[in-house]
Amino acid sequence: MAPEKNSSGAGTSREEAPVKVPAKDPKKKEEKKDEDLSEEDLALKQQLELYVERVQDPDPGLQKVALESMRQEIRTSTSSMTSVPKPLKFLRPHYGTLKAYYETMKDSDLKRYLADILSVLALTMSAEGERESLKYRLLGSEGDIGSWGHEYVRNLAGEIAQEYTKRQSEEAPINDLMELVQQIVAFHMKHNAEPEAVDLLMEVEDLDMLMEHVDSTNFKRTCLYLTSAARYLPGPDDMVVLDIAYMIYLKFEEYANALQIALFLDNMQYVKQVFTSCGDLLRRKQFCYILARHGITFELDEEMFPDDDEREALLEIVNNTKLSEGYLTLARDIEVMEPKSPEDIYKAHLLDGRASASASVDSARQNLAATFVNAFVNAGFGQDKLMTVQSDPSSGSSGNWLFKNKEHGKASAAASLGMILLWEVDSGLSQLDKYFHSNDNHVIAGALLGVGIVNCNIKNDCDPALALLGDYIDKEDASIRIGAIMGLGLAYAGSQNEQIRAKLSPILNDAKAPLDVLAFTAISLGLIYVGSCNEEVAQSIIFTLMDRSESELGEPLARLLPLGLGLLYLGKQENVEVTAEVAKTFNEKIRKHCDMTLVSCAYAGTGNVLKVQNLLGHCAQHLEKGETHQAPAVLGIAMVAMAEELGVEMAIRSLEHLLQYGEQNIRRAVPLALGLLCIANPKVNVMDTLSRLSHDTDSEVAMAAVISLGLIGAGTNNARIAGMLRNLSSYYYKDASLLFCVRIAQGLVHLGKGLLTLNPYHSERFLLSPTALAGIITMLHACLDMKAIILGKYHYVLYFLVLAMQPRMLLTVDENLKPLSVPVRVGQAVDVVGQAGRPKTITGFQTHSTPVLLAAGDRAELATEKYIPLSPILEGFVILKENPDFREDN
Amino acid sequence: MGQGTPGGLSRQSGDRKQDGADKKEKKFEPAAPPSRVGRKQRKQKGPEAAARLPTVTPLTKCKLRLLKLERIKDYLLMEEEFVTNQERLKPQEEKAEEDRSKVDDLRGSPMSVGNLEELIDENHAIVSSSVGPEYYVSILSFVDKDQLEPGCAILMHNKVLSVVGLLQDEVDPMVSVMKVEKAPLESYADIGGLDAQIQEIKEAVELPLTHPELYEDIGIKPPKGVILYGEPGTGKTLLAKAVANSTSATFLRVVGSELIQKYLGDGPKLVRELFRVADELSPSIVFIDEIDAVGTKRYDAHSGGEREIQRTMLELLNQLDGFDSRGDVKVILATNRIESLDPALLRPGRIDRKIEFPLPDIKTRRRIFQIHTSRMTLADDVNLEEFVMTKDEFSGADIKAICTEAGLLALRERRMKVTHADFKKAKEKVMFKKKEGVPEGLYM
Repeated sequence: MAPEKNSSGAGTSREEAPVKVPAKDPKKKEEKKDEDLSEEDLALKQQLELYVERVQDPDPGLQKVALESMRQEIRTSTSSMTSVPKPLKFLRPHYGTLKAYYETMKDSDLKRYLADILSVLALTMSAEGERESLKYRLLGSEGDIGSWGHEYVRNLAGEIAQEYTKRQSEEAPINDLMELVQQIVAFHMKHNAEPEAVDLLMEVEDLDMLMEHVDSTNFKRTCLYLTSAARYLPGPDDMVVLDIAYMIYLKFEEYANALQIALFLDNMQYVKQVFTSCGDLLRRKQFCYILARHGITFELDEEMFPDDDEREALLEIVNNTKLSEGYLTLARDIEVMEPKSPEDIYKAHLLDGRASASASVDSARQNLAATFVNAFVNAGFGQDKLMTVQSDPSSGSSGNWLFKNKEHGKASAAASLGMILLWEVDSGLSQLDKYFHSNDNHVIAGALLGVGIVNCNIKNDCDPALALLGDYIDKEDASIRIGAIMGLGLAYAGSQNEQIRAKLSPILNDAKAPLDVLAFTAISLGLIYVGSCNEEVAQSIIFTLMDRSESELGEPLARLLPLGLGLLYLGKQENVEVTAEVAKTFNEKIRKHCDMTLVSCAYAGTGNVLKVQNLLGHCAQHLEKGETHQAPAVLGIAMVAMAEELGVEMAIRSLEHLLQYGEQNIRRAVPLALGLLCIANPKVNVMDTLSRLSHDTDSEVAMAAVISLGLIGAGTNNARIAGMLRNLSSYYYKDASLLFCVRIAQGLVHLGKGLLTLNPYHSERFLLSPTALAGIITMLHACLDMKAIILGKYHYVLYFLVLAMQPRMLLTVDENLKPLSVPVRVGQAVDVVGQAGRPKTITGFQTHSTPVLLAAGDRAELATEKYIPLSPILEGFVILKENPDFREDN
Repeated sequence: MGQGTPGGLSRQSGDRKQDGADKKEKKFEPAAPPSRVGRKQRKQKGPEAAARLPTVTPLTKCKLRLLKLERIKDYLLMEEEFVTNQERLKPQEEKAEEDRSKVDDLRGSPMSVGNLEELIDENHAIVSSSVGPEYYVSILSFVDKDQLEPGCAILMHNKVLSVVGLLQDEVDPMVSVMKVEKAPLESYADIGGLDAQIQEIKEAVELPLTHPELYEDIGIKPPKGVILYGEPGTGKTLLAKAVANSTSATFLRVVGSELIQKYLGDGPKLVRELFRVADELSPSIVFIDEIDAVGTKRYDAHSGGEREIQRTMLELLNQLDGFDSRGDVKVILATNRIESLDPALLRPGRIDRKIEFPLPDIKTRRRIFQIHTSRMTLADDVNLEEFVMTKDEFSGADIKAICTEAGLLALRERRMKVTHADFKKAKEKVMFKKKEGVPEGLYM
């Protein structure tokens, strides 16, 4: 008990103090101690002493009785949380005696009995690192481990972990340990202590054992723990852990969860396995929705789906054909179908008169900004107030707005129609068709790009995009070529389409092709083969990088070439190494830039701390003028760290330091990195930092900060950011470039009138859509040199964001895939990993009826028992099945 | 608010070709307007908010938690590495030193302390000094405007009275005195008996601070506070001292009467301040002795003073279980008149555990005697059992008084040993004093 413990240091000086001091001479001490013990305690103590004496008795019968009763005493003593149970306390002085006696005993049942008791006593007595508890446990009778209490098992588990590492290094056998582990795991799994069971198994590297012990009551918690631990484990342990989680989910027929893990592992074999093991058509449809959201290509071959009708139905879902329909259902439900003009977004009337009065600094640029804002705000709605009004081609009034833009501006304007008709392939293509007959090359280029945008994230069997764009790739005019190439990149991102590669690769080898065409070709190939490690594409880009002259490689656009290369290895970690070696031989102008880009892409979304350290190390150098590789390194920190919440928060801290110490070239990239870390998730502290930076004296820092304000608020309609941007628009009303950025940011904040998100993470921030991330980082890399690219004539790179656009909705559909309105609770998600009982998964919730919008960090759960969702994570499209057990209560 | 800046005019040449060199030529670049003006958020104050690390869930001790904490540590190490590298490559100290001396020059000295009444625009404010008049003054550009808020304490230039700084430390000096800096000497070992009480207080106060995961494991909220009550001299304060001695948490001690202040509103303010400090320094334990000074039952108060005392108690109620949740702040109250306390104060949720301190029974009495006599030189004839077994009601404090008195008697007679007779005399004396002049045995 506590007083004793406390006094053991201070009390030794007071001879008379009736407190327990670790006794050298127990006999003498006991006399004194007896005085202050209550009668029961005294009796117990004497009893125990008697037992100890009896144990040493030669008569085995007596011994047995003594041991039995000693065991009884220990087990029945209910301890309080703060103190050692009394029997254990009284037996402490005899531990040595018993130990010594144990050594002299002959092998028998009794000896094992005694070992058991010694093992328990060692819990409090054994010196640090001795692992005596384990030693005696192994020597003892292998009885029920739980009968000695939880603390004992826990202690034993700790000792096993130590012993295991020791034996591993000595290469000693571990069979006896594993038997014990078996018992302990079984005990933990039965007693709601899944984390402890998993921890122990991780220590002894035998997670397979979990399979035997999980049951329907605890597998969910176990898997949740496993998947969240995987984020923080060093490779290859994380893969092992996820593998086990996958197996468990399969075993308990939680196929949707298994599919998510398969997607996380990027293991197509596993994805197939999920499909083959689950024959239920409805569930398969749900899987297709998940695949479609993730944005990867999955071939539904005839072997797996012999039934044609079924395959057709699944294909429709996996190709995202119904995305537009669902999105418009949401828009109608929320009543935001009414198109909005850029002025509705600027809300200039809220500002003082002066700023809005003199808005005509650079009207072409303002119109271009309005084009983008219009495109972003009305994205996917199919109607707006600039491009689609009075769709009467003869009068050309829609052309009116188009021709308010100058030259390359027209390209973006024409492409914006594609954005407005996003995902609506049929009507989109017919509306864009009129521009193909224009004799203005820029308009044609825009139309080509528009076709690509319309088809973004949608697959179609007859490949309209390829058919339309294919012919334009080799045209004379550079802008038309770029339009077609970029269009193909957007339309087929992630598809790994051989046909397109055959068409695009020759461009890279064409020595006469202009640099901008090359850059966009590399990006498009990178997008199409994103994360595929395709060697042929890599070779083509590498050759291009080696062939080009030094002056060309110094151009800002040339920096997109390494990015194209990097995209091929997005998230593929070590696979990049060969290419990275080759990159070391490049011209020094681009060498380091390429290196940083490759590393950051390859480790994007992994949370690998070593890589962050490496990148941070590069940022720590102070350079002579002219080197550009630090900016991609800064972006790289964000790309690597964005994998998990802790990484995000800590990376934000690190970026603060970069701001403090970094040179101008680093400071310019920091806002963009912040934008990437918190994309579509307006955190207040980041917002404040960006707001501060948006007034920076360096205009490029300010521009980057303004764009990032748009990114963190993307699709949230966040009033605070909108207010900040409004003020900035009047602050910078004389500065056309900054005002342009402010307008773009305003458009982004109201992306899809607040129905869209740019977050590449989905499924409760578990899965990372590679194409979405690729689109965002392409745009961010372009922003690294704002003046040359976005403010120059390549502003259409902003359309790369379309890859990441997804409705942030929960749309529940019935078994016929028709929208079904049910009540759901939406609230802030709570981390419930490793918590006891059935804790609430959301907090501060409100009840809505679907379809609903989900903000960053939100989670939804059904508020009715009437239906069963087929996906555990309520995001995007979710199929509901009627609950057969549901009774209407009257 | 940017539209008000005159600097906008100098931007006229500002087309997009402008680069860094152009910027340098500009004569005047207005400081960026503060990101917000007015009341600052309590939770995030500049450097403190940045220093705050993300919270790590789950609380249970498991590998996941370990991994997460290690991840944070990794990032911190990287930060450290980065910052030390930077400092080595490009020492900021000198530059900072230079800037600082310049700022000091601008500030002038001595500075006067004032109060910010109102912010007019980003560069001007109305301030008042302690002597009375209010001035319209400018705010110097190096003052962190994000942290200015109406009502905060500021530093003013001694002549022109412009705002040159602000006083960060808002902790009421009254509260900082309450913090126990030096742990008391009494430990649990100095408490005779009271085993159940010690265990209860440990479970309710210490364990939630040291092992919150135990409570999380089982799925309950740990108790927020305890009240210790019982006859005078039964060891309530002693136990609190022992808690303070053994804990590493911040220990704030207050006596109920301290919370009663001269001016209206000062008492509640002090309570608020006390809990705010406790929250800032958490994990912490607040010990309020003699709570009956403020916590008596509410009734129709006749005087302003009584009403003020009641308001102080209402504030205390709010702090104990009000709208804002207190994190790792545990409360120990002590009183010897629990029946007179307001029931609202004692309801579960505010004070979850009531720990009674009874008069010592025979066993405890023996232990207390042993504790107090353990360092005295006793004569062989001393038979403490006689006093232990007596029927008189002794509290712990009485026993201590008997021992001390006996020692004094021995000293008076210049003996080196305390005899049995001394103890007898001492006991009678103490009992006599205790019953306030009523001789022992008169009414038996």
